[in-house]
Amino acid sequence: MASQAKTGGTGRFSQDERRRDSDHVSFLKHKGFRWLWIALAISGASIAGYLLIDQEPRPNGGTWYGYTLGTIGFGLILWLSLLGVRKRRINPGAWSLKAWTSAHVYLGLALAVVGTLHTGFQIGWNVHTLAYVLMLLVIITGIYGVIVYATLPASLSANRKEMTRAQMLDALTAIDRQLESAAQPLARAEADLVIAALGQDVFYGGALARLTGSYPGCKTARALRGMGGATEAEARVTALLEKRREQLAQIRGALRIRALLEIWLFIHIPLTIALIAALTAHVISVFYYW
Amino acid sequence: MAFLIRTIDFTAAGREIIRDRVVEQTRLTVGRAVENDIHLPDLAVEQRHVGIDLAADGTLKVAALGTLGFGLDGRVVTEGVIDPRTGGEVALGAARLAVTREGNGNIAITIRQVVADEGKMDALRGFALASKLPSKRAMSWVFASAIILLLLALPVASHLLRTPAKPDPTGKTPGTVLMDSAWTSGELSLKHHDLADNCESCHVAAFESVQDETCLSCHKDIGDHATKPRLAKGMAPLSDGDALQWKIAQGFGKEGPLGCVACHSEHEGPVRTQAGSEAFCGDCHKDLDARLTDTALANAHDFGKTHPQFRPLYFASFGAAKPVRAAAGTKPVERSGLVFPHDVHMNPRGGAARMAVSLAQYRAPLECKDCHAATPDRVTFKEVEMEQACEGCHSLVSGRTAGGALSKLRHGSVKNLAEDLARISTGPRPRLAPGRQRPGQLGSASPYRADFGRPVRAYIGTSNALSTGGVCTECHLPTTGPTGQADLMPVNFPERFLTSGYFSHAAHTKQKCTDCHAADTSKAASDLLMPDLKSCRDCHLGASAVKTAKIVPSDCAMCHAYHVPAGQWQGLKPPKGPAPHYKPAPPPKTTVAAKVAQARP
Repeated sequence: MASQAKTGGTGRFSQDERRRDSDHVSFLKHKGFRWLWIALAISGASIAGYLLIDQEPRPNGGTWYGYTLGTIGFGLILWLSLLGVRKRRINPGAWSLKAWTSAHVYLGLALAVVGTLHTGFQIGWNVHTLAYVLMLLVIITGIYGVIVYATLPASLSANRKEMTRAQMLDALTAIDRQLESAAQPLARAEADLVIAALGQDVFYGGALARLTGSYPGCKTARALRGMGGATEAEARVTALLEKRREQLAQIRGALRIRALLEIWLFIHIPLTIALIAALTAHVISVFYYW
Repeated sequence: MAFLIRTIDFTAAGREIIRDRVVEQTRLTVGRAVENDIHLPDLAVEQRHVGIDLAADGTLKVAALGTLGFGLDGRVVTEGVIDPRTGGEVALGAARLAVTREGNGNIAITIRQVVADEGKMDALRGFALASKLPSKRAMSWVFASAIILLLLALPVASHLLRTPAKPDPTGKTPGTVLMDSAWTSGELSLKHHDLADNCESCHVAAFESVQDETCLSCHKDIGDHATKPRLAKGMAPLSDGDALQWKIAQGFGKEGPLGCVACHSEHEGPVRTQAGSEAFCGDCHKDLDARLTDTALANAHDFGKTHPQFRPLYFASFGAAKPVRAAAGTKPVERSGLVFPHDVHMNPRGGAARMAVSLAQYRAPLECKDCHAATPDRVTFKEVEMEQACEGCHSLVSGRTAGGALSKLRHGSVKNLAEDLARISTGPRPRLAPGRQRPGQLGSASPYRADFGRPVRAYIGTSNALSTGGVCTECHLPTTGPTGQADLMPVNFPERFLTSGYFSHAAHTKQKCTDCHAADTSKAASDLLMPDLKSCRDCHLGASAVKTAKIVPSDCAMCHAYHVPAGQWQGLKPPKGPAPHYKPAPPPKTTVAAKVAQARP
């Protein structure tokens, strides 16, 4: 049967095999890099046209070739931004989300070429360059997104050590309960350190702390620094605090990887909307002051 | 060593009930079945779920007795070790078994029921970065509205509501539209740079391309290449692609290929408009007569191959009111009114040369520059002035003044000449004899007659000077005035000889004058010493010619401008850097245009 699947039979099994195979092909490699080739063709044609067509007095977004590139770029931007609409529409039809994503990535890269040629390399402090810069930022964050989606999930599961997020939080709660009872014999100062450590939100820290993994205000670390080892109770609390710190480190590791995975969307999406606004202002202003 | 098993329960009223019991054994079992050491009545717990063994080293080995795992410090495992000194927590269903070591060495196991954590899924949201950043939607709204308001709505609104500002090329009047500077698509050209703050000077109405009318409101005096209908008629037919482009552009209100902005593309940076190429001119002029059948212009497209012969301006008859243009290819006879053989003056061994050598101001045979002085911009030459150029040899000295200095006849008008000659025989003279005079000596021989009688000598002197062989006729042609009196032919030279092109002498300093002007062999002033096309082509060929040490590829714009064909094409070269052919600034366009219009027959 397996050999039949490889030779492309028409049975149910081989159909399923093909579907399973295609399900596991990355959107980057979709249909043998179909959209990569299309994007390369668009970029190549744009560059060739730019080099071969002599525009007087110099290449400019306002020549006929400039308008052509601008129209292509405008259409591309609007279509690329529709991925957000497409992925929310889970209904049947001949529009594979994977194909759409593949096209989104490669056509987005081609847009950088088309858009750059449309500028004619004339850059200034104006709404036109604003739209261009926003477009570049969106494309750059998109490239970042593709890279982290391809590389980071592996380290995310390595960091989990077979624990779910809920278990990570449970583990912390378990340690906290033990800390609570173990800290009973402590003196005031040490007890306060433990209270502060227990009272701090597990998700303490801003976006920057998450991205860098640096938490200078961590109360657990501070409690560890302030806890002596003189009595048995203190030694026990120290041991528990160390366990707490390790558990926090695992959670924060997960937070960091997740933040690195998600941060680009917080630039990519708002800047896409800003880009559409700037693009509107760009197109209207050009013809308003024609 | 014993286990202290402490169970904490709550009554319905919330009161805590604590039950302690001590179990003296090293192994405990935990499960739902009642025979277990620790009995947990919870369906989520197995009948015999976990075994706890006290090891020799004091640690506790916790192992699942069935296949179902248990929670150990939050992690689901099937076996694990708890060090009672640090403690641990075993989770079984809703029960939490906290393991600690008592002061007396006993191991306490505290059993507590926890309520199901309903906020757990909410807590998991904390893992998403979204919990720490403003929402994407909010950011999108903020960015997009800021851009639309500031960069689109504000300029449009202020444009619609404004009182229009006047165009001001001095740059002192700013525009009244707010934030429209953000709309500029590039810096303005050097000549328009002062308008940068006043977009409305050119962009008058919304969604309307810049109109010729607007350009002409400042550029009132710009020369017309030709009238619009003739331009349209003479224009080469557009290619299909260009025709389509213009059709579309005109559909949107552009003024077509003859509008100002068709060539004068703005916002291309601080540059000057580049001159049109040879092809640009050739498009129409290479076969202009095919379309503009009544044109006086011959076809031209490549200076080395197709260019009409020069037709210099000259005076065809003595004293003519206006100069005429020579017919192409003829040898015009110039009637300037002067007598001047160039060859005599330029012969290095002739009499003129010998005389010049003897004179302090020359000390060498005469050269062209001794008479022809360049204008300050070195583009062309000043008028030759007799007093500067000729008088060194052709002296007009007439005697001595009372102070002993040399007196001379004034040059320039016959009236002055007559006055000066009349003065020669008057004026104070030394007495012939000392002492008294006898009365009655007023006869013809006495100075009295000369002083008070009719100025016969002056009449004769004037007549002699003006008639053939007289001092004036060394250079001038004698004639008679309207009343029959002796007079001289007026001297007539056009201000420029070649009026339809631009020529800079400064650019040709490497050449000798005689390379182009055959002055050394010219025997008479009637020779028009303007070079012909052929002599220019010794060096200048069309734009497509290969540049060598001798050959200069020359496009049309080297000699012709578009708006004023006789003027230099502005902005032919970038303002920086050496541009020997074009460096001197030409006289203002309007002046040249006016002069050419006057000078043309």
